[in-house]
Amino acid sequence: MLAATKILQRLPFFNRMFGVDAEDGLQEINSWPALMIASSFIWLAVAGLLGVAMPLIQRFDLGSELFYMALTAHGAALAFPFSFQLMAGISLHRAGGCVGKPITGVLPALIFICMNLGAALLTVAILLGFSVSLVVMYPLPVVGVANGQWSFNTLVLGFTGIALVLTMMIYLYPVQLLKMMFFGKKREDLILSERTLDDPGMLGMVIAALVLIVMGTPLMIIASYVLVALYGIIPLDVVAWATKPVVFQFAFFTFAHNLMEAMALMVISGIYATLPLYLADGTRELYSKRLANAALWILLITSFSSFFHHFITLLPNLPASLAYHGNIMSWGTGIGAALSIFTILATIWKHGLRKEPGIMIALMGFVIYVMDGASALVTSNVAWSFQLHGTMWQSGHTMTVLIAMSMMWIGVLYHHYPVLTGRTLSAKQGNWFMVLFTAGALGAGLVMLAGGAAGMPRRFADWAQGGWAVYGDLILVTGLLMAVGLIILAANFMKSRKLDEVPGSASAPEAAE
Amino acid sequence: MLESFYLTGWGAFGMMLFMLVPFMAVFFYVVISKSYGDSSPSKAPQSSFVKMERAWIGLVIVVFVAVNIASIDFMPTTATAKAMASGEKLTEVSFTAESWSYDITETKIEVGKPIRFSGKSLDTMHGFAVYHPDGKVLFTMMLMPGLEGPTSLVHTFKDAGTYTVRCLEYCGNSHHEMRDELVVVAAGS
Repeated sequence: MLAATKILQRLPFFNRMFGVDAEDGLQEINSWPALMIASSFIWLAVAGLLGVAMPLIQRFDLGSELFYMALTAHGAALAFPFSFQLMAGISLHRAGGCVGKPITGVLPALIFICMNLGAALLTVAILLGFSVSLVVMYPLPVVGVANGQWSFNTLVLGFTGIALVLTMMIYLYPVQLLKMMFFGKKREDLILSERTLDDPGMLGMVIAALVLIVMGTPLMIIASYVLVALYGIIPLDVVAWATKPVVFQFAFFTFAHNLMEAMALMVISGIYATLPLYLADGTRELYSKRLANAALWILLITSFSSFFHHFITLLPNLPASLAYHGNIMSWGTGIGAALSIFTILATIWKHGLRKEPGIMIALMGFVIYVMDGASALVTSNVAWSFQLHGTMWQSGHTMTVLIAMSMMWIGVLYHHYPVLTGRTLSAKQGNWFMVLFTAGALGAGLVMLAGGAAGMPRRFADWAQGGWAVYGDLILVTGLLMAVGLIILAANFMKSRKLDEVPGSASAPEAAE
Repeated sequence: MLESFYLTGWGAFGMMLFMLVPFMAVFFYVVISKSYGDSSPSKAPQSSFVKMERAWIGLVIVVFVAVNIASIDFMPTTATAKAMASGEKLTEVSFTAESWSYDITETKIEVGKPIRFSGKSLDTMHGFAVYHPDGKVLFTMMLMPGLEGPTSLVHTFKDAGTYTVRCLEYCGNSHHEMRDELVVVAAGS
C-alpha cells in the first residue's frame, strides 16, 4: 500500500471524502493525487473561514493587525495550498490516466510535503505577525523587521515557507508532469483514456508546466540567494543585487503573473478534455482542435510579457512603451479567451450537452473565468490602470480568477471522482453547489470590482474611512453563499456511495472514458 | 463623454459589463437550450459555423483595437506631453513617502494649473493616490524604493476642494492610516 493511501486512511473526515480504493489496481495514479486534493480542501476550509472573518473583523472593529493577519493568511491559503494543490492533484491524476504512467516514488511525496509544510510554516509566520499580503510586497518583509512589526526569525520562517512552496510550484510539480509526458514506460493497466500531445487537453498541460519552470527560475535564483543570506550562510552584501526592490519585484511578478496564466492554460486544457465526454450526440470531439490549440498558443505567447501591466503606475520608471506593451499583450490574451469561448459554445451548440453536474460546474467556472478576464483586460489598459491599480478591483480580479479556476477544477474533479475513489456523488447536491457557488462567486466578484470602481482600496483595514463598508457587507453576504455551497459540496463528498451500491453506475461518466 | 469613460473607475466598470453581459446572455442561452432544452445535434451546416467564427473573431479584434486606440488620449503620458506642448509653466510638487506618512513640498494648489507630481519612497512600496472630494480616484502612482528617478505624472485639477491622498500599496500594519490632503483653490486665491 502506498504511503499516500495510508496517510489518507488516517485523515478523519477527509478519508471518507477522498479515500482511495487500495484494491482497484489504480492506486498508483490515484493515491498521491487524492491526498493532494484532500489537503487542498483542508486549506480551502482555512481560507474560507478567514475570508468570512475579514468583513466581520472590520464590522466589529477587532483591530487592523488582526485584519492584515487574516488577509495575508487568507490569500496565501487560497492561492497556493488550495488552488494550486487542487490543480496539481487533479492534473496529475488526469495525466496518469491519459499516458498510463504511475505517480509514485519520491517526487510526488516531495510535491506534497513541500507545498503543505511550506504553507504551514508560512501560516505560523503569519500568526506571529508576518502580515505581508499574498504578494509579499518586497521589501516590506525586511522593512517590517526594521520598524518592529515582526521579528527577524519570523521573517526567516516566512521566507522558508515561501521557498518550499515555490520549489513545489516551479520545479517539483512541473518536472513530475513532464516526466510522465515524455519519459518512462507506458503501462496499459493504468490507461483510462489514452491521449497524445495532439489533443488540446494534453497540450495545455505541457505548455503550462514549461511556463512554470521557465518563468519561475529567475525568482527561484533571487529568492534562494536572499534566503541563504538570511540564514547567514553567505554575507548579505554578496546578495545586494538580489535584495534590490526593483530586482525582486520584477522577478516576482514575471513569475506570479505567468503562474496565473499557466494555471489558466492547465484548466482550459482540462475543460477541452472533459467537455467532449458530455456531448449529447456522443461524438466526443471539440468543434475545432485547430481553434482550441490556437487559443492555447495565443494565451501562451501574449501572457509572457503582459506582466508589465503590474507596473504601469510606476511611470516613468516603467517606460511608457513597456506599459503600453503590457496593455496590448494583456488584451491579446483576450483574443485567446475569445477563441476558447467560441470553441466551447460551438461545441455545445453543434453536439448538444448532457446536463451532468460535473460539466455544468466546470462551465459555470468558465463563466466566472470570463468575468475575471474582462476585469483583467480593463485594468490592464494604461488609462484605466491609473484609476484602478491598488483598489479593490485588483482584489476582485485575483479572487475571481482563483475561484473560477478552482470551480472548473471542482467540475473536472466531479468527473474523475468515481475513478479516483470508487464512489459516486449525488447529482442533486452537485447542482445545489453549482447554483450557490456560482451566485456567490459572481456576486462577490462584481461587488469587489464595483468597490474598486468606487475607489475602495485593497488590503485596507478601514473600509469605513471612505464609506466603503457597504461593499464589505455585500462581500460577506456573497462569501456566505459560497460557503454554503462548499458545505453542500463537502456533504456530497462525505455521503458519496460506492459504485457497486448505486444502480446504473456503469453508465457513470468515468465509464465513458 | 470619453473622458468620464476612460478617467473614472465606473467607466472601467461599464467596459467590463459591456464585455460580460452579452457573453453571459449568449452563454446561458446556448448551455441551457442545448442541455435542458433540445439537446439534439445542430442541423446548421459547417459553413455557417465557420462564418460565425470569422465574424466573432473580427468583432473581438475590432472592439479591442478601438477601445485601446481611443484610450491613448487619456494616458498620463499623453496628458504630460500636452501640458508640456502648451508652453504653460508646470508647477512642481515633490513628495516622499515613508511608513506611514507623506512629506509633500506644496499642498495648496490652484485650479487649472498643470501640476507635475514627482515622488519617491524612502523605505518600502507605497502608493500616492489622489481622491477627488466626491470620492473618485483621480490617479494613483506606485512608489518603489531604491529607484534613481521619481515616479511622476502631470495632472490639472478642475475643481476646488480638499482632496485626500491615500496609499494604495499595502505597506504594513498602519497602511490604512497613511494619508494626507491637498487643498485645491480657485485660480488667484
